[in-house]
Amino acid sequence: MTEEIKVDKTMDLKGLPCPQPVIKVSKGIKEIAVGQVLEAVTTDPGSLSDFPAWARTSGNEILKTDQDSDVIRFLIKRVK
Amino acid sequence: MDKEKKKKLLELFGSKLDRPMRYYLDTCTRCGFCNEACFAYASVPKAEYTPSWRAEILRKIYKRHFTIGGRLFPSLVEGLELSDETMDLLYKAAYSCTGCRRCMMYCPFGIDTQAIQSIAKLLLIGNEKEPEVLSMLADASIEKGKSLDLFKDSFMEGIKRLENQIITKWKGESHEIIPIDREGANLLYVALAGAHSIVPAASIFNAAKENWTLSFFEAVNFGAFVGDPTKTQLIAKRIIDEAIRLKVKEVIICECGTAFRVMRHLIGEQPFRVSHILEVITRYINEGKIELQKDRANGIMTYHDPCQAARNGGIIEEPRYVLQHLTSHFKEMTPSREYNWCCGGGGGLVALDDETEEFREETGKTKANQIKETGATIVATACENCHTQLKFLGEKYNLGAKIEFLTNLVANSLVLH
Repeated sequence: MTEEIKVDKTMDLKGLPCPQPVIKVSKGIKEIAVGQVLEAVTTDPGSLSDFPAWARTSGNEILKTDQDSDVIRFLIKRVK
Repeated sequence: MDKEKKKKLLELFGSKLDRPMRYYLDTCTRCGFCNEACFAYASVPKAEYTPSWRAEILRKIYKRHFTIGGRLFPSLVEGLELSDETMDLLYKAAYSCTGCRRCMMYCPFGIDTQAIQSIAKLLLIGNEKEPEVLSMLADASIEKGKSLDLFKDSFMEGIKRLENQIITKWKGESHEIIPIDREGANLLYVALAGAHSIVPAASIFNAAKENWTLSFFEAVNFGAFVGDPTKTQLIAKRIIDEAIRLKVKEVIICECGTAFRVMRHLIGEQPFRVSHILEVITRYINEGKIELQKDRANGIMTYHDPCQAARNGGIIEEPRYVLQHLTSHFKEMTPSREYNWCCGGGGGLVALDDETEEFREETGKTKANQIKETGATIVATACENCHTQLKFLGEKYNLGAKIEFLTNLVANSLVLH
């Protein structure tokens, strides 16, 4: 049984081309507290590589990535 | 500013002072031709929007710290001390210039003002005052090169989902619609990770029965936007290494002006050729590998020359050749080609998003008026930054024209045999 992750903020980034989703998320994560979780919803396949790379360089953690049809959902924990 | 920091920044300044740069800094007669050539000044006639104002800050620092007269008698040479206040001026100068180099076309001495602004950008990095977003994007790009295995599978899965969109445009059949990691392919196509950059190009390559493969990396080089030579090279190196590993003959850069300029003109000799996607499309049309139905897109069409692809990259005739096959209603902007006005979105300004919105709106007036004068209902272009900025200007100035990537217009006009 998987544990439900509590989402503290959601950003709808559907329709935005790269690199806009990762730019918005890098700003958006600063609006939640350390330890809280940001949900980002995108449609751009580029975010599948942009987000993990950004998380590694910014020191944040991607808890989950789901791909459903054209929509990609990331759960990102603010670590720093 | 403390002594150590100042010393470090002056060393950085000194590292840029090769012979051409000294020439650019020493030679200026203040004729003002460059001012009239700047899109920002043409739109908003403020002194701080002139290339000469921007360059003068660096010239004054140079005179103060790197000439004998300046070291001994700074006030006599009108030298400027490097300080926190000066750094603020440098930010204003560097990020109100898109690096379009139109001013250089009009300078009687051929002074490269973009090269001068590259000193400002380097000093801002040294002072840790460069735009955070651009450095963040550059770092993420470099990280992708280091940890490809981490995102490889999910990226391939995401790309697979685009295949239906390609079949709609190209209407062909293949066992591999978007090949990735194909060793021995003729072409390595470097897109902008997003679907809008992959789907049209893939449709065209497949229609031409090309032996191609898609790069894992995005073409855009944020290291170049932020003015960091090391990061610029590292970002380009990911693509160079991939091209060498796959033994491709040619690397094709998508519709991204800076990416093209970096890969074609700044990475040095490589065991592969670097081409712009419009050069490849021109070749396919010439060789009869693809056929386009003319006037499938209705209305007057104009073309915006992206500064980095056209003036600074040499891609000028190819888009016009392609447009001849797409429309009977093409209307050139005046001026155009290497003298085209910048749209105001380059140099990383579009990526800075709302931080530069006001500047981009007011200084985009010249470009907006130029588009209006053509009466065009479709504005084609071949650069991501330009496309984003032109769409923005379209909304702000009610242009009533659709902004299209030229590659997308080609893909939508493919004739199936």
